[in-house]
Amino acid sequence: MIAKAGSLVGRTRSVLDRVAPATRLNPLTIKQWQRFKSIRRGYWSAIGLGIALLLSAGAELLVNSRALVVSYQGDWYFPTYGDYIPGRTFGLDYDYETNYRELKRMFSASSAGDWVLMPPVPYDAFENDLEAGVYPPYAPSVASRHFLGTDTTGRDVVARLVYGFRLAFTFAAILLGCNFVIGIAIGCAMGFWGGAFDLLFQRVIEILNNVPFLYVIMIVASVIVPGFWTLMAVMVFFGWTGMTWYMRTSTYKEKSREYVLAARALGASSKRQVASHIIPNTISVIVTFIPFSIASGITALTAIDYLGFGLPPPTPSWGELLSQGTRHLESPWIGGSVVVAMVLVLLMVTYVGEAVREAFDPKQFTYYE
Amino acid sequence: MTSYFIRRFLLIVPTFIGVTILVFAVTRLVPGGPIERMLQEAAMAGADVAASTSGFAGHGASSLSDDQIDQLKAYYGFDKPVIVGYAEWLGKVVRLDLGTSTRYSEPVWDTIKDRFPISIFYGVTTLILTYSVCIPLGIVKAIRHKTTFDNLTSAVVFFGYAIPGYVVAIALLTVFAGNLGWFPLSGFVSDDFDDLGTLGKIGDVAYHAVLPLIAYLAGSFAVTTMLMKNSLMDNLAAEYVRTAIAKGMAFRRAVFAHAFRNSLVPIATSFGNNITLIVTGSFLIEQIFNIDGFGLLGWESLVERDYPVVMGILVISSLLFMIGNILSDICVALVDPRVKFGSGEASQ
Repeated sequence: MIAKAGSLVGRTRSVLDRVAPATRLNPLTIKQWQRFKSIRRGYWSAIGLGIALLLSAGAELLVNSRALVVSYQGDWYFPTYGDYIPGRTFGLDYDYETNYRELKRMFSASSAGDWVLMPPVPYDAFENDLEAGVYPPYAPSVASRHFLGTDTTGRDVVARLVYGFRLAFTFAAILLGCNFVIGIAIGCAMGFWGGAFDLLFQRVIEILNNVPFLYVIMIVASVIVPGFWTLMAVMVFFGWTGMTWYMRTSTYKEKSREYVLAARALGASSKRQVASHIIPNTISVIVTFIPFSIASGITALTAIDYLGFGLPPPTPSWGELLSQGTRHLESPWIGGSVVVAMVLVLLMVTYVGEAVREAFDPKQFTYYE
Repeated sequence: MTSYFIRRFLLIVPTFIGVTILVFAVTRLVPGGPIERMLQEAAMAGADVAASTSGFAGHGASSLSDDQIDQLKAYYGFDKPVIVGYAEWLGKVVRLDLGTSTRYSEPVWDTIKDRFPISIFYGVTTLILTYSVCIPLGIVKAIRHKTTFDNLTSAVVFFGYAIPGYVVAIALLTVFAGNLGWFPLSGFVSDDFDDLGTLGKIGDVAYHAVLPLIAYLAGSFAVTTMLMKNSLMDNLAAEYVRTAIAKGMAFRRAVFAHAFRNSLVPIATSFGNNITLIVTGSFLIEQIFNIDGFGLLGWESLVERDYPVVMGILVISSLLFMIGNILSDICVALVDPRVKFGSGEASQ
């Protein structure tokens, strides 16, 4: 059995095999992975999304006002991470953080052999790069390295997009984690115990589903400026119900099946029945939900930011850019870039989701030619 | 079955109380309510006396004594503890009195009523367009599964599914209204609407409705089309259709006389929920296109701390939502006689 699984893995030459060659993969998992890979659209979207995430994780190296490398009087400096390096270090006459774009111009003007290597986009998400005498937003320009232009306060759109993406994705991922932990715990309990506990939470879920959560966020946001975690708390408070409901239904179904009955007959405790029998068998529900939850997390955060009740300025956010875009229709690069970025990301996430669903819950249709 | 639906209707009551008490408590516990808002506005109006309209505003905020503020609070019922205030509010709602808007100083119901026609117009149009396009499209896609037509329409439909309606709205607004100028930027009708003839009026409404309608439709299209397609394919693969075809029935007839009717069941499950959509519209889309409907009213009253209107909207939308859910189940029971509600888990 082990050998057979091993040979299957070998034949597929899957990524999983390279990542964890020692683990014995469940043949079902291998089959699911193969099915996922065979759905090209979803597979390539997953790769694209993975690359986007990797790039955004290292965004400081690509989009940053700090230089990658500075060579000054024979010493090399790497200012990207860590504390800022005061201007005096490089022979400038100030103690605050070095302006590396200026430094680059200075070094290239002199011929001392010093040089500065800037990231491809030499701006961060917060600085206002203003030109004398012209009001922002500035149109996209390769010369000024504002590849997608600037927003209405002269901040680089690429930088806002990249850091906004990272933030939104992180937000959505943490939101998903919280919702899933609560949803799986309560959902399983509801399905497994049933009775009064089930009834009580059914009502709670129905009530929470009925409260328009945007209302509550708006009311709360009008009093305190919501931070990352406040927003998260409100969204988890209203968001856990979806997962709970699905877990309840599938636990309910699984509970009445023979293998759980057999486990119980053998004397397995409730905890063991749920943890090692029911949950592993509802894993397809859980996995299928992940991409769609990520998409809805990003969408919700962007919507709240768009309305101006989300993360406080100057946090880079897609919603804030969107609202700038709608207020400044004469500068289409602002709205245009966010819309394109959102469309790309959400399409990829949805394609991955669709492929995952296909892989975990294949539906073979017979159809007539 | 009847007893099941009666029970469902009775369960509306606790849920309704739960929902309203939650929002009511939030509006009360959070500082910066309507009174503060009024005082703030009064302070602004006090500087510009000509602009003042309501009775107390002309005095300016500083001249309003604590006594007067207390009177004001008593007038709007903000002086009592949350539970008492809620009980009074609920007592009024039961007598179909939603209270008085703090912003417009007119009954909440009148404020809300004025917005209905616009939201209903968009709701009904979206509904008709969705069903009249999605059902045929779903059928064609199911019959021509995995052909170029199917893949192509899937891509388009998927696009609409992945992108939230408000992003579609912003994109449309930027391109077609902002830059190309083909469609108006905002509003439900033009300013000179009253001077237009009947045809002109219809044209004007349609002209303003094109972009918001596309935004509304983008999302609902995908769900309904794929639902129709998948459920028809399930049925086409079923034994009874195969039998019918094996016995020599024409394919077209097998599809329409057998499979199609049965595949409408899942469509029926979502039908009742449309009642909410029809009336409430979308907050965000109405806000983006500045359409003076139900959603925009909710948004404005939240921003302006007009809590009686907020609560009024909540009453109507949550009641409609719950009734919509029950209607969906009734629809399913009507379409599919095998469905028996009320016996154990079938009720889910």
